[in-house]
Amino acid sequence: MAEQPLKILDYDKLEIGEELGSYEYVLTQEMLDNYRQSIDDPDAAFPTLAVKHDGTALNMVYNDTTGGVNAGNEVEFFNPPVPGKKIFVKGRIADKYLRRDKPYLVIEATAVDEDGNLLERLKTYQMKKPDEVGKKWHPQA
Amino acid sequence: MASTSIEIGAEIPSVTKSVTTASILQFESCAIIDRENIHNNEELAKERLGTTYTLASGRMSIAFASESMRKFFGPDVFHHTGSVNLKFLRPVKNGDTITVTGKVSSQRQVEQGTEIVVELLCENQNKDRTAAGIGTAIV
Repeated sequence: MAEQPLKILDYDKLEIGEELGSYEYVLTQEMLDNYRQSIDDPDAAFPTLAVKHDGTALNMVYNDTTGGVNAGNEVEFFNPPVPGKKIFVKGRIADKYLRRDKPYLVIEATAVDEDGNLLERLKTYQMKKPDEVGKKWHPQA
Repeated sequence: MASTSIEIGAEIPSVTKSVTTASILQFESCAIIDRENIHNNEELAKERLGTTYTLASGRMSIAFASESMRKFFGPDVFHHTGSVNLKFLRPVKNGDTITVTGKVSSQRQVEQGTEIVVELLCENQNKDRTAAGIGTAIV
């Protein structure tokens, strides 16, 4: 992906369906081993989960100074990625909505390998008022 | 385990994981861009959430739940037809022990076979729910 200046993320200006661009990288055996160790699962097959394809796509386009809390993830598995092969990722804004007056942003990424095999589709539901979650966890604060 | 003889109420293998600062940071190190966030920067977590600690990424719980699902359905099934959908209910942090459990709740015929739905639950060492949702696979 060509280097471009990051745009400041303005929730109100985000459009549903907006493309977040695409990028590619080579999955290495070291990345797979590192991932497996981090979750203590020697047979884990989708280190792509920790690469956070959708969040990476967002962060390659936007400077998100507010941040957000991950309220949920949906992931579909199609084929395990193979170390040494290139992975191509495309991201987009899948949805945005208000729930209980809190703004939510849904980002989505689809990953395909260099042979055209569909690997994984990932969605993240970000709540874009992280301080509200903090208050819920620490009501005395 | 790929069989349509799976019964409603069948329990999937539980998985228990210790979450440490080291495991949280190692998970974050798998990213392909360097970025400070509430998982790897205590100050940022404090600024944004008011916490005194970093949080484990919710995706770690997705990974734990995926392991339970894979052990039940087998990698040949789960790695090609599986899904996990979790809502995160409470923060997971250093020192927590997360246990994933699940029960088959329904099944339905789809074009590729029978889709099995599993109700998934993640609890910490205090039996507090940290995440809940469903997983699916087609057998």
